[in-house]
Amino acid sequence: MTETAVTLKKFFETARDGRLTAIKCGRCGNLEIPPKEFCDACGQRDWKPLALSGDGTIASYTIIRVAPTKHAGDAPYAVAVVKLREGVSLFGRIVDIPLDRLAVGMPVRFRPLVIRNETAVGFGPA
Amino acid sequence: MRRVAVIGVGVTKFGKHDRTSAELFAEAARDALIDAELSPSAVQALYYGNVVGSETEKQLHTGPQAASVLGIPTVPTTRFETACASSHAAFRHATMEIAAGVSDIIMVGGAERVLNVPTAESTEYFAYASDASWEQTLGLTFPGVFALVARAHMAKYGTTEEQMAHVAVKNHRHGVLNPKAQFRKEITLDTVMTSPYIADPLKLYDCCPFTDGGAAVILASEEVARRHKRPIWVLGSAAASDYMLLHDKKDLSRVPATERAAAAAYRQAGLEPDDVDVVELHDCFTIAEIVATEGLGLFEPGAGGIAAEKGWTSLGGKIPVNTSGGLKAKGHPIGATGAAQIVEIVTQLRREAGQRQVDGAKVGLTHTLGGNTATVLVSLFGRD
Repeated sequence: MTETAVTLKKFFETARDGRLTAIKCGRCGNLEIPPKEFCDACGQRDWKPLALSGDGTIASYTIIRVAPTKHAGDAPYAVAVVKLREGVSLFGRIVDIPLDRLAVGMPVRFRPLVIRNETAVGFGPA
Repeated sequence: MRRVAVIGVGVTKFGKHDRTSAELFAEAARDALIDAELSPSAVQALYYGNVVGSETEKQLHTGPQAASVLGIPTVPTTRFETACASSHAAFRHATMEIAAGVSDIIMVGGAERVLNVPTAESTEYFAYASDASWEQTLGLTFPGVFALVARAHMAKYGTTEEQMAHVAVKNHRHGVLNPKAQFRKEITLDTVMTSPYIADPLKLYDCCPFTDGGAAVILASEEVARRHKRPIWVLGSAAASDYMLLHDKKDLSRVPATERAAAAAYRQAGLEPDDVDVVELHDCFTIAEIVATEGLGLFEPGAGGIAAEKGWTSLGGKIPVNTSGGLKAKGHPIGATGAAQIVEIVTQLRREAGQRQVDGAKVGLTHTLGGNTATVLVSLFGRD
């Protein structure tokens, strides 16, 4: 039995320290956000961890104005799907960018966040 | 495989109720039995959809509870949970059980009760259908999910907020004609455009409401259905899934699960998109209707916004979509929605839709989406 390449716990532990880790398929080169057991592209199981730069551009974003109970105190806040330089996308909370300046294609950079004691993905100005 | 037909339908009034989801389902199921002229003892199984019962009603095991309240406590009962597509998933599995010859008559339905809790609470419960580690922690909501889809669609195709607003205006206009709809009031483009943002670019009137309600349909084998006065045949029923996490999806402006489920359902039925006369699809948000009309092949990718603006999806248009008022105006009791869409299509194909009847409707389609566009069911129906 081989170990899972990058567990969810491991991803967020290293993210808390400011580092993002993707997994790259050793057979076909497909890049994914962990955790995944098999490669969706080739069906093989040969993942290698790959450090991500954390640089990317906003693929889509929204400003949440009506929030779930737990996040109501933060509203309004922006979340975005960010296409990272390496090709994978990552979902995160936008911080330190005025909400009215947000745009698809805007460059952003990864920023670790702790929201209600949980590590979360954030993106701030590039 | 045996042919399968819908021989009875029932749906409650959608809106706010002071009854449990089990009671709401039982009312719809009772009406479906009366419609089918069947006694409860004829039902051999219940396939049931209910989503947030464990949160809003503190109730698990809602299948047997619903069956007990209906008065069929001893039939095998299974609850399906595929978020907002739950009772459509239940329908597909019931269809397969009859097609396989295991049962002859199955009750399919669902119910939901959410208006007994405050909006912030129901918003949180619905968000449980997005990923707990990656998305809920960041405060993603369901309007947020579709706002991300909308923004991507706008960036890629030039779709406008006004085109989305046309979907809401049209579905409210249809809802006026449906006595069971939650909202029976016309709205203007201005009503939508000046309503507050919930999750930009989606405004209040781009969003379907929270709804209490129940719906039920009765499925039968061909042999049983032939003795029934107006069977509506299941021509195809397919499911598809996709990555659940938004950031794993390759293109946020599309819903590949819709495209795959539709392709499979059309193949089963031997039909093309052009053969469809009336559609009930999952307009939980106005952008969802635009993207679904593209994914179902009714319009080219990117043309859904124009179609809404030109009125092509309106009653009297090229392909009427959501004659019931859709989730937007009819309402969206999530566990019941898939079954309620089938109720509308069966009503249309029986030519019993009154003022909202699509003239000469022969083939109908239902499309139900669950969660972060990760589950889609598409079914096709036809009359003799």
